[in-house]
Amino acid sequence: MSQSSNQYQMKIDQLREQLGYDFVSLAFAQSASDGFVITWQFASGNLNNRYKRIVLQSGKGIAGLVFKTGKPMLVSNVKEELSPQDLFNDYPIIISERLNSLAAIPLYQLDRVEGVLLAGFREGKTVTKNNFRQLYDSLKGQFGDFRIKESTFR
Amino acid sequence: MIQPSAKVTTELLLKMYEKSSDAILFFDENNNVIAMNEAALSIIDPGMLTQIGSGESNSFCFTCRGYTSDDELMSCLNCYLSNSTKDFSSFQVFLETKDRGVIPYSANFQEIEVESGIRVLMLRDLTNQLLTQESLNRNTMMKSIIKAQEDERKRISRELHDSVAQEILSSLVDLRVLKYLNVQDDALQKIQQTEASLTRLLDQIRNLSVELRPASLDDLGLEAAFRSHFKWVQKNYGVIVHFTAELNGVRFNSEIETVVYRICQESLLNALKYADVDEVSVRLFESEQMLEMLVMDQGEGFNVNMRDPKGTGLGLYGMKERAELVNGELTITSEIGKGTTVHLQIPTGTASSNRKWQASE
Repeated sequence: MSQSSNQYQMKIDQLREQLGYDFVSLAFAQSASDGFVITWQFASGNLNNRYKRIVLQSGKGIAGLVFKTGKPMLVSNVKEELSPQDLFNDYPIIISERLNSLAAIPLYQLDRVEGVLLAGFREGKTVTKNNFRQLYDSLKGQFGDFRIKESTFR
Repeated sequence: MIQPSAKVTTELLLKMYEKSSDAILFFDENNNVIAMNEAALSIIDPGMLTQIGSGESNSFCFTCRGYTSDDELMSCLNCYLSNSTKDFSSFQVFLETKDRGVIPYSANFQEIEVESGIRVLMLRDLTNQLLTQESLNRNTMMKSIIKAQEDERKRISRELHDSVAQEILSSLVDLRVLKYLNVQDDALQKIQQTEASLTRLLDQIRNLSVELRPASLDDLGLEAAFRSHFKWVQKNYGVIVHFTAELNGVRFNSEIETVVYRICQESLLNALKYADVDEVSVRLFESEQMLEMLVMDQGEGFNVNMRDPKGTGLGLYGMKERAELVNGELTITSEIGKGTTVHLQIPTGTASSNRKWQASE
């Protein structure tokens, strides 16, 4: 486990450096005995450790939504696209990491969503469709043992 | 009755005309202003004054924005200047003032000389009165809204907890029984899936019920309700709440407990939203005849006096209103860069509230 966790940490550090994101994080679902809750397990460029304590139910939060729908999520401008009420109630990670623009991608294993990769900017830069594409290209459809479906990027 | 001499009366009337804070204007039969006192001069725009001076008919209409009729807030229909049959001894009128914009006045319009058609308009600034009225209305309204919301939440939460959740629980038990019957493997698998999704549904309903209004608040009291709420906060927002409870399970009447719970919830929410902190501390304790709560963070803080809040600004207002519902006092101290403290004090009259609690047990 420690080896693979090192591997994930390295991967997201790399990704952040290569593409210039402010924050990159990785969420996984817990086992059935933990009620399938979703937690952010790795982060790069985090402001604090709040992400570690956040526990999401399926369908809640960015990771929860991506898990449930199996589709990526692109929010180019948080302030314009999400109402402040929703923002606070449903997306704690955006608040705690002060994200202003983000993309989240489902990671597949055997046609099931097993993880969520989140990349975002704080002030200034925004994630455009191009960035999104670039993110996919740089991952080459693969993230560790996970597959990234190209169809999700259209 | 004292009969004042004519001389004294004229003198006094003149003084009143000059010094009065009510604006007094005289109109001739053509609705031209023929005289006005200092107070009127101080409110009416100089530009309008020249027009009034020019003797143009109905020039006062440039200043007047209409009066309040049965149908409209500001109306010119059947206006006091043109309609002499209607009673205008007391009405509300809006004027365009020199430097304060459109302001409501309480007005009185009377004919004082029938043959020459001279009439007098007296105006008294209504702004303060209206403001008082408005805030009184708002306060009453706020209180009933809070109460209605709380009652409704309680009802729905109870309903979810007592009937919906119970029904699901009994179906779950039935499903579990099914597993031990002689069923085929594929059926068994389906049953297990259904069991898992029902369990999740039950969880969600319970969460919903607790979010609406925790049953533990009524059944077990503030401390228990706080503990589960803080756990929830940590899970949802990753913020740790350090809770110091010094009540030792003392109970208060349900109204007070609700207020404390909601104010704590709101202050915490504010800290989570705006303070940008990892930790918040909450202390709940009793002092002489008082139930007190402190919610402290060491986050960004804000300027308490600034009337430009982040968010809607209704939160703080609602907290104060809630505190007032139980004669409590809410003090919010905050300094930019140093953090915020919310201090709530509610007089309990400890003895009586304890007795009430015991009686209801």
